[in-house]
Amino acid sequence: MKIEVLFPEVANLYGDLSNIEYLKKCLNNDVEIIETSLNDEPAFVKQDDINLIFMAGMTEKSQEIVIKKLKPYADRIDELVSKNQPILLLGNAMEILGKFIENEDESQIRAVGLYHFYAHRDMMHRYSGYYLGKHKDIEIVGFKAQFTTTYGNNDECYFSETELGMGINISTKYEGVQKNNLIGTCILGPILILNPLFTKELLKTMGVENPKLAFEEEVMAAYNERLKKFKKMAEKEQKENKKNSKKY
Amino acid sequence: MNNKKSIKFYVALWLAKLSCKVLKLLKRNATSFPGDLAIRICPNFLGILEKPETIIGVTGTNGKTTVSNMINDILTENGYDLVNNKYGSNIDRGITTTLINAANLRGQTKKKLAVLEIDERSANKVYPYLTPKYLICTNIFRDSLMRNGHTEFIADVLDKYIPKETIMVENADDLICSHIAENNKKIYFGIDKLDTDTKDFENKTRDIIVCPKCYSKLEYDYVRYHHIGKAHCPNCDYKTPDADYLATKLDLDNMKMTVKTPTGEEIYTLITNNIINIYNILAVIALLKEFGLSYEQINTSLAKLKIVETRFSDETYNGIRIVTHLAKGMNPIACSRAFDYTRKEPGNKAAIVIVDDLHEEKFGSENTSWQYDTDYEFLNDASIKQVIVAGPRYLDSKVRLLMAGVPNEKIVCKKDEIEATRGLNLDNIDSVFILHDLYSIEETKNIKNTVKQLIDEKGNK
Repeated sequence: MKIEVLFPEVANLYGDLSNIEYLKKCLNNDVEIIETSLNDEPAFVKQDDINLIFMAGMTEKSQEIVIKKLKPYADRIDELVSKNQPILLLGNAMEILGKFIENEDESQIRAVGLYHFYAHRDMMHRYSGYYLGKHKDIEIVGFKAQFTTTYGNNDECYFSETELGMGINISTKYEGVQKNNLIGTCILGPILILNPLFTKELLKTMGVENPKLAFEEEVMAAYNERLKKFKKMAEKEQKENKKNSKKY
Repeated sequence: MNNKKSIKFYVALWLAKLSCKVLKLLKRNATSFPGDLAIRICPNFLGILEKPETIIGVTGTNGKTTVSNMINDILTENGYDLVNNKYGSNIDRGITTTLINAANLRGQTKKKLAVLEIDERSANKVYPYLTPKYLICTNIFRDSLMRNGHTEFIADVLDKYIPKETIMVENADDLICSHIAENNKKIYFGIDKLDTDTKDFENKTRDIIVCPKCYSKLEYDYVRYHHIGKAHCPNCDYKTPDADYLATKLDLDNMKMTVKTPTGEEIYTLITNNIINIYNILAVIALLKEFGLSYEQINTSLAKLKIVETRFSDETYNGIRIVTHLAKGMNPIACSRAFDYTRKEPGNKAAIVIVDDLHEEKFGSENTSWQYDTDYEFLNDASIKQVIVAGPRYLDSKVRLLMAGVPNEKIVCKKDEIEATRGLNLDNIDSVFILHDLYSIEETKNIKNTVKQLIDEKGNK
């Protein structure tokens, strides 16, 4: 079992790397973690036996460096996605594979360009919020905190359908991107610890036959508690939205 | 920007002053509303309002309040008449309220000196209107991820808005902090290599790993904690600067600190053995020496100071030491420092960890991502016999402790703080550490009282 963590020296914000620690514990440490630094050639370029490629959120300047680093491998990433390579991108890591990132002054940074999505930065207005949504039949809970918002139609290729919070932007209920086994989501932090059912699914996608979760009882208890709270919040949000729509 | 006093300005000033009086009569908090009202009526109010001749600002992620309080106390004891926002908020509205209180009805200031704690995220709303003569930057670490994002963002905001004329007093041992406002005049403070410094990185997070100029991996000569230490880039000139005020010797047995200053070596009294507060004291010394106070003036007053009890307290009750230590929730570094301090103190310990933001609960659930940037691993120490976690996110805290390797049998986990504290097992325990959030001061008092009751009950048996 191999997991490649891309650029952990810069892609390491918001506790995102804890997801890898959790996977390690779920796999009883029987996993090789390849930490690819900015000065290395990514392992996925030559190796075909990586079970998961993971990249966490990073600062805006780091995004620009990582884009430069990954651009030469755009075709290889595309090939891996078409071969069902599991890839998990958290927070603003997803934006790197998109078309471009737009600054407040409308200047653009060309991204890797694999997808038609683009992101818009608004540094003085940070969005923070809770998230509840459905990925297939699995309820996903999580948090968002971001300077950027993603645009582009993801109706046919979303990661999760939103019940609480926003999708990739305020006008859509569809969150993130999924193409084959590539998942990109604006949700950040310990998503795999917060979402034991999704983690089981991911482990299966990575090739684990009967996945066992570390601290399953405690992780499920925390998940169920949060789910209960977020569902209540979602109901309240929906009622308020209905009330507001009647007003107009 | 037009900074002439207009009718709008006077209306804002008078209404704000009136609101201060009304709020005080109603025994309500008047620390932010009057400033908010003034800014709403007259958006550049803070720019127009006359300000004290000299402003000392204190900013940074951690230690702002402690440093500001120490400067206030020492200057006041040495006869300075000053205005400060000790009881007010540190954002633009709070600072405006403070300065309104120091002004007369014509908007003229009654004071010559101000000591202002300034929130680092509010730089864009404060510095366009106010130029500190000196600005201490204590440190820059990752903080609330919801509000502050990351250190690069905070450093950029400070860089953009700090006035060119301001003399920066910066922590040399913090690579991010020491490179803020590069073109300003700078005074650095730092602590020389300590025996406890290492070559290895022990913390979960380090906010600067690669050189921000050329993206090469930084080389550390030594690491103190997180990104604090001495480092350089192997490929360019980016490095830790030399300190103008360098603590060359920490004598914790005798609670003394030797500081090499531009005018010679001086020995100061230490009022704490906690490294984060030693940095805070050093910042105060550097600032006050530059401001013009003598060694005797500073040291005599410094020796009489105490760290504010809501931040740190230490007492022995019927043979058991009880320490309360601020561990600001959602601030991974503040919590990690508190956990580190706990594990390194002597004897067998129990740790009561109440770091949830209790007020966040009413909005749903706190973003718990910060827990995974925090070194809960430090609580997995042989000397810590029990870890008690409570608060609305108690189930998340338990998972985090398990992830850190703390054995399940050492963990007490309950939603209610007092019920959880009642699970304290005092057998073979020398000290109880209560590590608490900034917004749970009342809860901390109740927990401390419960600990005392349990000590009494044990004594009676």
